[in-house]
Amino acid sequence: MAFQIPQITYSGKIKEVTLGKGPKAVTIGGENSYPFHLFEGEMAHPPRIAMEVYDAPPEDWPETALEPFSDVVHDPVAWAKKCIESYGADLVALQLVSTDPNGLNRPSEEAAETAKKVASSIDVPLIVWGSANADKDGDVLRKVAEVCDGMNLIIGPVVEGNYKQVGAGAIGYRHTAIASSPIDINLAKQLNILLGNLGIPDGQILVDPTTGGLGYGIEYTYSVMERDRMAALTQQDERLQFPIICNMAKEVWKTKEAKASAEEAPALGDPRRRGILMEAMTAVVLLLAGADILVMRHPEAIKMVREMISDLMAK
Amino acid sequence: MILIGENLNVIIKKIGTAMKEKDPRPIQEMAIAEASAGVDYIDINLGPARKGGGELMEWIVKTVQEVVDTPLYLDTINAEAIEAGLRAYKNKKGKAVINSIMARPESMEAKFPLAQKYDAGVVALLWGPSGLPRDANERGVLAAELMQKAMEYGIPNEDIWIDPIITPITSPQSQVQVPGCIEFMKMFKDLQEIAPGIKSTCGLSNVSNGAPNHLRPILNQTYLVMLERYGMSSAIIDAFDEDLKTFAKGKREDLKKLIFRVMDKDQIDLKSLSKEEADYVKTTKILMGQILYSDSWLQM
Repeated sequence: MAFQIPQITYSGKIKEVTLGKGPKAVTIGGENSYPFHLFEGEMAHPPRIAMEVYDAPPEDWPETALEPFSDVVHDPVAWAKKCIESYGADLVALQLVSTDPNGLNRPSEEAAETAKKVASSIDVPLIVWGSANADKDGDVLRKVAEVCDGMNLIIGPVVEGNYKQVGAGAIGYRHTAIASSPIDINLAKQLNILLGNLGIPDGQILVDPTTGGLGYGIEYTYSVMERDRMAALTQQDERLQFPIICNMAKEVWKTKEAKASAEEAPALGDPRRRGILMEAMTAVVLLLAGADILVMRHPEAIKMVREMISDLMAK
Repeated sequence: MILIGENLNVIIKKIGTAMKEKDPRPIQEMAIAEASAGVDYIDINLGPARKGGGELMEWIVKTVQEVVDTPLYLDTINAEAIEAGLRAYKNKKGKAVINSIMARPESMEAKFPLAQKYDAGVVALLWGPSGLPRDANERGVLAAELMQKAMEYGIPNEDIWIDPIITPITSPQSQVQVPGCIEFMKMFKDLQEIAPGIKSTCGLSNVSNGAPNHLRPILNQTYLVMLERYGMSSAIIDAFDEDLKTFAKGKREDLKKLIFRVMDKDQIDLKSLSKEEADYVKTTKILMGQILYSDSWLQM
């Protein structure tokens, strides 16, 4: 008897979400099987990579990460354009780190203007990520939503402490919300329920499970994402059938292993290759767990991961 | 269903203070209230009781037995405190029960001899050398080990109370652990054939730990019915939870049948049910691991 590959029977499907506007809008989701299990089902849309742009010049990036962007770090618009024109970014992720009350604490209005400037000067979808301070983000993201009315941005992280404020902005000004929970499958589901009850349409929700970098708790994220997809695809758990976004680059590049110079850590090998490979490896792990969007930094890591995606998607 | 009252517990502020100050009144009042509420045993939980545990347990056992005849569960890790309690205990309406002995050598070697010496019952806690068992099979292995040891010490079957360890539905492992406990109870039915008369017990309210307070009762009630189906013979509960006692006394046959149908994976049309019935169906599905828990499960 010929060998039969065991197959999983799926009963659910990830919802499709369209991000951005116009010809460069991106649709993600639509999977009806586990990631890249193309022998069992379909991935209607391939996973996508968003390239990071910061709203203030980064101060703690290692040379390897900074080098490709050294000419644009003072100008988020130029930075975003470089990502698209030089590196072919499908999406841009604007990190509003300067709004952090424990850092530069820039006012919400200023951040909203920056977001609007970037959004107006690019044609690909724009993700706007706050400082992860729930109170401040409540105000910042609400204002971003307002000044960018109708541009279908992707705004987050939306957490239990600010979901009403940010969620209302997403509904009123038609944006997609990123529901963010602290590596906990039950809390992830609960927040999706709350966003639904608030009135955010299913086509405007992404899930951020919270990402650790390679060697820094990524296995917990992996396990939560795995559980998410099992519930969504095999248990018809309707409130988990959303695409997943992983804001991973900042987790990778802040680690000691990605930052240490050759002199500091001679045993760890060439620091340039090391950082890039750590970012690429983190990305691959998250793709295999079910990520639909990865927020990445280094053009070379991105290139490798793109090739990987196209290989895994080949029939 | 045998009920064990959990209210004489060091973590309840009034009781903790009375234990510290050796003030008999609050303790006796609580014991009388629990006995009047109709529990079959009263659990005396000292916590770890590392310092002065022996003296404290002896004093509480005497204090409680002055006012009630209800048999006692002696609940602490401290073996010395257990022994002091057993020494002071008078068997009026039943044996004292050691709560608990774990499936770890040091625990078994310290406490089984006490059960033998003082003719006491034992809660055999399915907690092994590597901690919480991962599934029903690991629970089975630990149960066999504890039963074997109990036999070596000549403890009669009816004095062994197997505790499969209930874990919260809100914890990350709940989709495996909570149904895992039910799976083990199916095995427990077989164990009863090998060791006729053997009992079981559980810290029921732990299943709803971490859930919103107003939703804890339905979790506790449903899980009780599910466990009892496969022979759970007792539960440690809030002595004053009248609704739960209604379930424990088998007075909600209608809901029990419905819960069993969900356990048997019958297709049930929620639209044909009342709100109350639908809530119990949804809760059973959560506890069976068929649906992932979230705080809003009843609204789905």
